[in-house]
Amino acid sequence: MKLQSRVVTLIKMKIRKFIDIVKGTLQAKSIEYIQVELRELENIFALILLGSFIGLPSPPTSISLRLLQHMARELLVMQHVSERLDDMLGEMAGLFEIS
Amino acid sequence: MGSGFKIYFFIGKGGVGKTTCAAAFALSLANKGYKTLITSLDPAHNLGDVLDRKVGEEPTKIVDNLYAMEVDFEKMIMKHLKELSNRIKDIYGYLRVFNLDKYIDTLRHSPGVEEYATLEKIIEIIKRNTDNKEYDVLIFDTPPTGLTIRIMALPSISLIWIKKLIELRLKILERRRAIERITGEKIKAIIAGKELEISSIPEEDPIYKELVELYNEIDTINKILTDGEVTSVILVVNPELLPVIEASRAYNFLRKLNIPIKSVIINKVLREKEMILPNELRIKIELQKKALKKVNEIFQGLRMITIPLFSREPRGLKDLGTLSKYLYKLYEGL
Repeated sequence: MKLQSRVVTLIKMKIRKFIDIVKGTLQAKSIEYIQVELRELENIFALILLGSFIGLPSPPTSISLRLLQHMARELLVMQHVSERLDDMLGEMAGLFEIS
Repeated sequence: MGSGFKIYFFIGKGGVGKTTCAAAFALSLANKGYKTLITSLDPAHNLGDVLDRKVGEEPTKIVDNLYAMEVDFEKMIMKHLKELSNRIKDIYGYLRVFNLDKYIDTLRHSPGVEEYATLEKIIEIIKRNTDNKEYDVLIFDTPPTGLTIRIMALPSISLIWIKKLIELRLKILERRRAIERITGEKIKAIIAGKELEISSIPEEDPIYKELVELYNEIDTINKILTDGEVTSVILVVNPELLPVIEASRAYNFLRKLNIPIKSVIINKVLREKEMILPNELRIKIELQKKALKKVNEIFQGLRMITIPLFSREPRGLKDLGTLSKYLYKLYEGL
């Protein structure tokens, strides 16, 4: 009886673990698109605000300057995206499962 | 006049007589008992020459109720840049070690600096008067048209930018919240080696809060500039085609920005009936007729004020007093 109960618990644990993995995979898959979208929006935000670096028309200096102190994350995202510019097409193809 | 103060901007092509008209109007208001400050924002100052008094950088008393000031353009730009560099130093404290001021001379040549600096000065004067209610009327004698309309467009342009940035920011925060809902935890980012939670709610997001604060600040000044009860733009032209065409462009541009333009002064009009015309002036009179016809077509619905050409250039308080008699229509709505 004891052994039977232990086996049931073990099976339950295994099923729970399996469900967690499936759930995690689905979660990861479902936020993958949103994460890419978020990253691109943050990149665009930084580019618009500090676009004069790359010759884009930018808003009045006073606006950029006021926001600059809070822009750490957006600057990191912009740097990350610009470092991987050559790789972006591949990443997008991977995301949309284009082979 | 209501409880608040009034603001007048005199706008026109260089040399049409903006300063003279503005000074004559300021003098007549002062004589009527309104405490008036006239400020020259034109880099080529001649307010002091027109008033025939020495005018300083701070309000200088001319007669009872009339104060005048000439803004030192170079000083104003340097002050603006100094404030900019101080703000940069506040953000990047370590930069205090390096002498940023050394680079101000270079920043002076950045595009748009003159416009920002002039707008800042206008805001400073208006804010000061909003706080201490010292003057009943503020009159601004502006730089030539091109620069002035760019200055007046700045608040509207800034508001367009901020609105778009707020929209974009809200989209970012919405995506962050979506990710948080799915994962059940806050998004974290490693910034300067530290793992930090990043905000997803507008009320907690420093960028969103800063944008809203900026919007409110600029909107306040924009509301003053576009409030017909407070602000009036007065176009000054000569009865010649080029100044009329330039004023027409300014008129259309400012109307798009909702800046209230109420009057047109046609300055230096030759009165043919009262003059024995030398032959050389006949062509000029014909051209003047054409220009006046154009003025009537373009500025329909605005108050038209005609000032004749005087036998000598108006200078000093007595001459300005004579000229101000032609400006009585400007008092309407005061």
